[in-house]
Amino acid sequence: MSYQEKRTVVGILSGIAILAAYCLYTFNRYAAGAVTPGDLKFWATTMLIFIGIGIVASIVIQIVFHIVLSISIAVTKTIHNQAVDDKEIEKNINSEMVEDERDRLIELKSNRVGFIFAGIGFVAALFALVFDYSPVVMLNILFISFSAGSVLEGFAQLYFYRRGA
Amino acid sequence: MAKKYSITNNIRKLRFFANEMTQQELAEKAGVSRQTIIAIEAGKYSPSLELAFRIADVFGVTIGEVFAYQVKQD
Repeated sequence: MSYQEKRTVVGILSGIAILAAYCLYTFNRYAAGAVTPGDLKFWATTMLIFIGIGIVASIVIQIVFHIVLSISIAVTKTIHNQAVDDKEIEKNINSEMVEDERDRLIELKSNRVGFIFAGIGFVAALFALVFDYSPVVMLNILFISFSAGSVLEGFAQLYFYRRGA
Repeated sequence: MAKKYSITNNIRKLRFFANEMTQQELAEKAGVSRQTIIAIEAGKYSPSLELAFRIADVFGVTIGEVFAYQVKQD
């Protein structure tokens, strides 16, 4: 598995974890009766908090991933070739992490998949309002479709890396 | 019915004649990742014109000697 694929898998896992955490937290609160169905302020605040958590978590996870990957490359190279020096290891790490035109093309194509899904979610959210569901349902459809869209984007990225762009 | 075309390449052969140049070496010289070279060699990715010229330049040949545009054989 290449560096880009590993990074994508880490992104997918963190996206799923954040979405699952949001669902667990909000639906538990809702089931416990701590939230009234019309309490828009609660939902908006929770979503903002989870957006913040999502951004911070994805940055931290990516940093940790890069550190772990660099260490694993260095250890693997040292095991295979005892005489290898630090500059050689650094060169290997840099060459593993090169981002080129193919990565950019795959990113664009998978972004499109994510945006299409989020767009469908937006339309579904509007339909929810048309069919007299509460604005809370609309908000949740929007939030979940945007989050699921970003996870789907990761899967699309993985697909393009495996099957060719 | 319109003919179907595909882009084929001689990168593996050119690497062999370039003193068995590794994919990593070619990637470094062309300024891309090894995965991109693997994908191009396997026909899973068609490079941009610029990258195609850079790859040809690494081997010191013309672009036509690296890539060919042929009718697809089904």
